[in-house]
Amino acid sequence: MSIHHKDNPYQSSTFGKSLSLKVDGGFNAISINPSARDVVLASRQGLYIIDLDDPFSPPRWLRHETPWQVADVQWSPHPAKPYWVVSTSNQKAIIWNLTRSSSNAIEYALHGHSRAITDINFNPQEPDILATCSVDTYVHAWDLRSPKRPFYSTSPWRSSASQVKWNFKDSNILASSHGNNIFIWDLRNGSTPLSKLEGHQSSVNSIDFNRSRSSEIMSSSNDGTVKFWDYNSSDNSKSNKTVQTDFPIWRGRYLPFGDGYCVMPMVGGDNSVYMMNLNCPTEEMDNPENTRASSNSSRLQPIYTFKGHSDRVIDFLWRSRHSYDTMVDDREFELVTWSKDCTLKLWPLADILYDKVNFERNKRLEEKLPNYEYITYNREVLDSLNSNDNDYKRIKENFVTTSGLKNMNNVNHLNWLSGVRMNDQHSPDNLFEQPKLHNLGEEVSAIGHQFPKVVFEKISVSTGEILLTLNGPWSEINPDEYIFLRIEIQVPPKYPNKGHAPKFKIEENNNLTDAKKSEMLNKLNEIGKIYTDAGLYCLEQCLHYLLGEKVSMDLEDSINEPLFYLDGADSINFDNLSSLSDSNETIESIESSLDSDNNIFSDSYREHPEARNTFGRNLEFDSTPVPNECGAIWTPSGQLLCFFSSEKKSAKKVKNIFKLTKDNLMIKDDTIADPRVLFDGDQVKGSDVTENRPKIYVDTFSGNDAKSRATDVTTDEESDSDDSFGSFVDDWNDIVGNDIVVRTRIPTLMGNFAKSFGSVHSESVKTGDSSKITKNIILIKDFSMLFQEDKRLGEEYVITNKLADEMARLNALVAEKYGYEEISHCWQILSDLLLAERDQSFSSFTWNNNPLGIRWFVKEALRFFEKENNIQMLAMLCCVVANLLLSKMGPADVYNVEDSYKSLVTFELYDEHSTWPNDDHSQLSGANTIHSRSDSFAKSKLLNSYDTHSIRSDEISSLPYQTIGNTRLSTGRPSQHRKRDSTIGIQTPVYRRDRVAEISVELIEDEILETFKNPVRDILDPEDVKKCQLYIYQYAKLLFRWGLPYKRVELLKVSIKAISQHLQRDSFGVDDLNRVNNNTIEIKWVSSYAEDKAVGNCNYCNLKITGSMYVCGSCQHMLHTRCAKEWWAMGNECPSGCGCHCPNQYDRSS
Amino acid sequence: MVSITNAHNDLIHDAVLDYYGKRLATCSSDKTIKIYEVDGENHRLIDTLVGHEGPVWRVDWAHPKFGSILASCSYDGKVIVWKEENGKWSQIATHAVHSASVNSVQWAPHEYGVMLLAASSDGKVSIIEFKEGRTSTPIVIDAHTIGVNSACWAPVCYEDVESDSSKPTKELRRFVTGGADNLVKIWKYDNDTQLYALEDTLNGHSDWVRDVAWSPSVLLRSYIASVSQDKTCVIWSQENNKGPWKKTEVQQEKFPDVLWRASWSLSGNILALSGGDNKVTLWKENLTGNWEPAGEVQQ
Repeated sequence: MSIHHKDNPYQSSTFGKSLSLKVDGGFNAISINPSARDVVLASRQGLYIIDLDDPFSPPRWLRHETPWQVADVQWSPHPAKPYWVVSTSNQKAIIWNLTRSSSNAIEYALHGHSRAITDINFNPQEPDILATCSVDTYVHAWDLRSPKRPFYSTSPWRSSASQVKWNFKDSNILASSHGNNIFIWDLRNGSTPLSKLEGHQSSVNSIDFNRSRSSEIMSSSNDGTVKFWDYNSSDNSKSNKTVQTDFPIWRGRYLPFGDGYCVMPMVGGDNSVYMMNLNCPTEEMDNPENTRASSNSSRLQPIYTFKGHSDRVIDFLWRSRHSYDTMVDDREFELVTWSKDCTLKLWPLADILYDKVNFERNKRLEEKLPNYEYITYNREVLDSLNSNDNDYKRIKENFVTTSGLKNMNNVNHLNWLSGVRMNDQHSPDNLFEQPKLHNLGEEVSAIGHQFPKVVFEKISVSTGEILLTLNGPWSEINPDEYIFLRIEIQVPPKYPNKGHAPKFKIEENNNLTDAKKSEMLNKLNEIGKIYTDAGLYCLEQCLHYLLGEKVSMDLEDSINEPLFYLDGADSINFDNLSSLSDSNETIESIESSLDSDNNIFSDSYREHPEARNTFGRNLEFDSTPVPNECGAIWTPSGQLLCFFSSEKKSAKKVKNIFKLTKDNLMIKDDTIADPRVLFDGDQVKGSDVTENRPKIYVDTFSGNDAKSRATDVTTDEESDSDDSFGSFVDDWNDIVGNDIVVRTRIPTLMGNFAKSFGSVHSESVKTGDSSKITKNIILIKDFSMLFQEDKRLGEEYVITNKLADEMARLNALVAEKYGYEEISHCWQILSDLLLAERDQSFSSFTWNNNPLGIRWFVKEALRFFEKENNIQMLAMLCCVVANLLLSKMGPADVYNVEDSYKSLVTFELYDEHSTWPNDDHSQLSGANTIHSRSDSFAKSKLLNSYDTHSIRSDEISSLPYQTIGNTRLSTGRPSQHRKRDSTIGIQTPVYRRDRVAEISVELIEDEILETFKNPVRDILDPEDVKKCQLYIYQYAKLLFRWGLPYKRVELLKVSIKAISQHLQRDSFGVDDLNRVNNNTIEIKWVSSYAEDKAVGNCNYCNLKITGSMYVCGSCQHMLHTRCAKEWWAMGNECPSGCGCHCPNQYDRSS
Repeated sequence: MVSITNAHNDLIHDAVLDYYGKRLATCSSDKTIKIYEVDGENHRLIDTLVGHEGPVWRVDWAHPKFGSILASCSYDGKVIVWKEENGKWSQIATHAVHSASVNSVQWAPHEYGVMLLAASSDGKVSIIEFKEGRTSTPIVIDAHTIGVNSACWAPVCYEDVESDSSKPTKELRRFVTGGADNLVKIWKYDNDTQLYALEDTLNGHSDWVRDVAWSPSVLLRSYIASVSQDKTCVIWSQENNKGPWKKTEVQQEKFPDVLWRASWSLSGNILALSGGDNKVTLWKENLTGNWEPAGEVQQ
């Protein structure tokens, strides 16, 4: 792409300038080419090679997708092998050869460690030697001439290694840090350390040998100190000097020039890099009173602080240059930092700093400095040679990687451009804040984002070449017609200074007449001249003109009009973005516009058809998740309703990986970019089966481009909405590109798009590639065997009209019949226990708590089935126990009477309106609605075989609850026992006199007899009682869903009644709870229920009311006319016990 | 086993049987809803409901006591309520308060009346109550930034105020939402203010939550299943409707692909999970409180 090669570092356009480069993608390691032209960044996605001399050109991407973060990357420092880069991939070290094509760049993989490698170091003398260290505690030295195994290994066994460094002078010496200690090794000495340096209080993060004094080494640690050692000194267990800082130190290294060092915090420390002089001359005088410091300890005294990153610095490097073959030391340096805030910054050094670290410039050198060829490895290499003999050169190892793919340069160029900021002034701080255009690159990125319909085919900032295509209203014949234009712009290097207007060239086009063309060119040149004469950037205006919009030639206007995109970022309007535009904006497919020149970008367009049309149309923000293609939903009856798409797996492979995190979308303030690692997690596996999925609906369109279009073609006449899907979908695709870099600038982009919606119109045709119809299938599978509950059991279980032990025995048989052994046994045991219970007399109750007693058994059984989630058994157990209550009541006359009465009471008609006058109005009206709807439902009963009776039974089912409410009301009275008395007395006058009095006086007060008479209390733990009610209610629901409404009514009739009765006797609190529970259910139902008068029973005799009746106008309780006469002759309160004085309230003849 | 092939021209996103298991409603990317009559092994297409302008994500049958009513939600941002009268389906209500795709719709337990819960990618959930043929103003809640992917009602239950029996027990009306902020949130209805307030926020996923499902069976504890793009499924359980939610992962390792949908059986708490691998897995809690596989369905 780049035409002129700058092969001299002194022609570098960036050296000595501050530069900020935004590179998203979670890069964790950086290294620099010895010629100081390229830097390499490494992440889980692979390597980025960035040409610092042409930061506007997109990076070269060597893909190597791994789930492991790259711990270190090192560029070979040797002139002999300037193309070698080594990076870590968990326990392996990978040697990349950058002269090969990116798909084939892995030259060696060093596999000797058993756990993750933490550091790599090239031997400074021997080009083929390097050392690695690892969490597995080992340090290996490798000779790349025989890369199969390390030629030297050592380990201190105890703790994992964090760093390894070669001595700069003596190529046999290396140092490694393990935990708090540093070990010095000599290759000739085997694995006995030459020296062990102890003294740090916490683990050592970084070590570095001194370049000139070979036995000196510095170490930086988590304990916040930097220590300087001399391992040759007699007392090597003590450091020469300690410098104390306020932060744990991540990296600390000697300067490559002068006598200084730099340290960098792990956390805190203002995210800065600190530069110090080694021989801090003022130190002693500053701290005379500090006795400890006077010897060898001091505080950190930076001579310069490189401050400007918004998150911690990951690493720093020195970029240097010097003249060829010079005998004087004319090296110049520049600091390169890479931070977690995803920016790479270049910091020029002021001359004074060189002096401060005692760097004598232009000193006579004893030997020449090594010469490096000043070339970049940023360009993709097309190696026809290597691809032929792949077979033996390819590493046989099965990396989880997609590095075999061609075409690495699919990093979105516009996004890349928008991340580059450069400044001439030595004022980095201002640079990073001011939202002003500084150069052509920034201008192009700004307009690229502002004009989504303009396709940039080629952007080369360094050579000033821009090639773009767009549709403009330039047709002679029809002014409304948009014609396709291809425009080449040549921007002079001194643009936008006066007299350096860009040159425009419009490509020949059938639809464009010569006259029109020259008119346009004149106008463009005019615009260019006016703006550049004023020193302003003009491309935006030119594009406005080309798109047929009005361009102000008055510069005042245009200055007021913000050109810059950052402003837009603050005003993202999500509402605006998420609503679908219904304009007819459609797209132009640009296959036709791509001709076969050899530039990289059109190449990549061709090979990645889904990545074409960069910014060709508008974009919408939409967080709709990607639709599910299959699903499973339980049906009430225990069947599983599944649906699948039978779409082939292969169709999904195309899908892009795009992880849009919450933070991404939420960054509105774009000036401080979020440092989040976008590719964290373990998403990328690379294999076919576990390819990553898009998350957002629009993405699936881009992924399944062909498919979605196909459906457009096959199914759609009104294609408006679909087209707009398609178009913004494609945009997303373009922006997202492939797996790489989702820039945090996406919100910026969207802000701009939102603004420019509808500003440009173009015509288009959409083509469907194929007409494949998605197949799908719906299955209903029976999984009822998975459930503890069984409908057949539900059908056959005996619920009522038997003694409890008989019920249990019958149910045991039922369970056995269907093969439920466990349940059958449970019933059997219960049956036996119940039988024993029945036969035994007074003395038996005391044994109920015994592990062999019934109470214990019931409790344990409930516990067990609770765990099993067997609602059927839980409910049935409760039901049988409840029956026991009823049957136990049998022998005692009083209870018998009450029981028979109660069992008849079931279908009491009861109106909640009067019962619960406090009910809020909404509930009442809700009930009305329900009523009318159930009415309409009845009309549709033809479709559902048992609709009518189920509705009916639902109504019925609510009755027992009302009864509970009823009984509970009576408890408002002072004494429970007295109340029962009176109820019985009133309702069964025949028995009243002789029996009730007897019991209430003598027996009820007797604890033992009470227990005996209320066996349920013993069988059921009071705690379980209310649970039982819940279980029964649940099971009733289930029975209803199974289509067994009669069973349901039976169950509720028997159990709820008995238990509530028991509860009422047992505890007010619980009863209270139940009342309200049931209240809600009751309210919802009553209206529709009240409609059907036939259900009503007389409140006095509990028989069904037919014919003439008495209804209280206040409490709505009903009586047979005959009963009413009888009742009102004796009492003056409503027989239901509601407390209403009916005759006083209303005329009794109603 | 009933099997219906190629019911729709595009992907199917939901299929629900009505209360009695007689009728099946399916919805699809082809913007239509189809109603089938299912009888034993046989099925018959009754009607195709056309009205949405985008893919239809979910459908839900109302309780039959309200009539033969179906709600559907779509990418077009609308919820449409359909009603069948005399064998003819018609739209009886359109609910369009959302500005982005409505991803889930569910009828409230019938005890609460005719009430719909809808969740949308515009970050909001809405509750619409239909009273006497008219619609009350919907309650709209900002639930999750970026987008709400699913919302589900809790079954009817009651606050336990055993300690103080003088106070009336309150109905505990709650629902759960899951969103693109990786969170699961529990919302509770306040009878006094008549509004829904955030009760709890559950943080357990590292990626978008795709579906939440509240177990319909009210036994000892409440269960919520949440499935996520992070390929995990978390079961949240709460004892006696109060106290903290306990997090249990269905399985320690991740699922092979993203999970899309969770569904609880009406009884027995068997969980059906479906996801990107076009597979359905069934899960069941064992006696020790862990979840173990109970079956698998593949196409």
